[in-house]
Amino acid sequence: MSASKIAVEGVSKQFDQAGNPVQALAKLNLAISEGEFVSIVGPSGCGKSTLLYMLGGFIAADSGRMLVDGRPITGPGVDRGVVFQEYALFPWLTVFDNIAYGLRESRMTERDVRVTAERYIRLIGLTGFENRFSRELSGGMKQRVALARTFAYEPSTLLLDEPFGALDAQTREIMQDELLRLWRTTGKTVIMVTHDVSEAVYLSNRVCVMSQRPGRIVKEYTINLDRSTNREEVVLSEAYTAIRNDVWLAVRQQVILASPDDR
Amino acid sequence: MNTVSITLLQQFSQILPFALFLVAWQGVAKSGLIDPTFLPSVGAVASALVDLGANKSFYTELAVTFGRSLGGLALGAAVGIPIGAGMAVSPAINGFFGPLVKATYSLPKTALIPLLILWLGIGSASNMVAVMFSTLLPFVVYTYHGIAGVPQILVWSARAMGVNERRLLWKVLLPASQHAILTGLRIALGFSFVIAIAAEMIAAHTGIGKLMFIYGESGSYDYMFAAVTAIMILAYIADRITVEVSNHLMRWDDIENRLG
Repeated sequence: MSASKIAVEGVSKQFDQAGNPVQALAKLNLAISEGEFVSIVGPSGCGKSTLLYMLGGFIAADSGRMLVDGRPITGPGVDRGVVFQEYALFPWLTVFDNIAYGLRESRMTERDVRVTAERYIRLIGLTGFENRFSRELSGGMKQRVALARTFAYEPSTLLLDEPFGALDAQTREIMQDELLRLWRTTGKTVIMVTHDVSEAVYLSNRVCVMSQRPGRIVKEYTINLDRSTNREEVVLSEAYTAIRNDVWLAVRQQVILASPDDR
Repeated sequence: MNTVSITLLQQFSQILPFALFLVAWQGVAKSGLIDPTFLPSVGAVASALVDLGANKSFYTELAVTFGRSLGGLALGAAVGIPIGAGMAVSPAINGFFGPLVKATYSLPKTALIPLLILWLGIGSASNMVAVMFSTLLPFVVYTYHGIAGVPQILVWSARAMGVNERRLLWKVLLPASQHAILTGLRIALGFSFVIAIAAEMIAAHTGIGKLMFIYGESGSYDYMFAAVTAIMILAYIADRITVEVSNHLMRWDDIENRLG
């Protein structure tokens, strides 16, 4: 049996919310192979971002094991690049310095830093914006810088927390295709948290549906779409529509299941 | 209205309060409401200022006071910023200094001056230590709040890219708190002049405060006011330079966060 790139085994997490214990995750299991693109969808507040931050090493599990390449996660690591919902660019640094940040941390020579950062700036179409600060950028530009910053230092796994949530519909589609292209050319393992079912189905090999709190993976869908064509053909295909509806219903079911408890 | 007249109007509206203040001063001085020996006219103060300005030794006194202010301010920053940063990152340090900060926050630091003079003698040392104590708290409080308010996500973001716990302070926490710390610096700068002069007035051999004291004692109120005016101008210039430098350092920040 080949070992998983990432393994989450019986992981539970409880939070304290204004003095009340809240069970975020309960005995959650998830295995992800190398090179896989897995999306996690579920009702809001189901703990999907918590799971991602735990994989990032920012939050420790109460019980259970989390492994990357067979080794337990003990903290953040440069093998796992994170792209946050609100971009999290360093506002005091320019576009260039933001993209160079991880490269410099890896003790690359300044010459190589320059070459790599410039390559990514070209790749995301921000040539001429190298010396801009993030307040001078649009949401889409910031998102591109955030993706480039993480891609540039080549982590083998990407953890994406609603990376396109704050973008307008058109920019979102462009960025999704950009991510798909980067994923295809680099072969990285990607775990993306999103509440956008269409986005999850369009991008992933596999979509995991999480339950309402306490979060568990309740359903998994393997997506076998022919992505060699363009977006129109994929999105308008019957296979895509069918699976998107299935996933949407599964998420919907979790939302409905949860509501009586809230009253 | 065209832009030239708008600019002129803006400039006029900035000068107007000062002009009104001078007119009121002159009015009170002439009316005899206050004994004219104690309230010199605007003209008398102006001519005293011109006289002082022509005197080389006056600039030496100004430089002495300015040096004490900035020296004490630098000491305050050197002690206050590390304490504030320590309090923000360590509950133990916060537990130790937190109560001290709260207890001394409202204490008028000028009350310490006589004691400091007894301990350290008359001169620049006691003066700068007094300035240090008064500027310490703005640095502590603003650095603390600045660092405590750094978004978690920026810290995580740096950690994910390989910044370890120890280097977070330099790589994220301090740069992200620049705005708060520079605001603290500006407030501390104002305090530094007040305390340096107050300390000189209580006991000193040199400095503008000492000069003001001598003029006051000898009844040369026009010269006393001239010395006050000179130090006001100096403090104003120092404040403007601080604002300009801060805004340059903060050019990455939103426009509405600029210091005015």
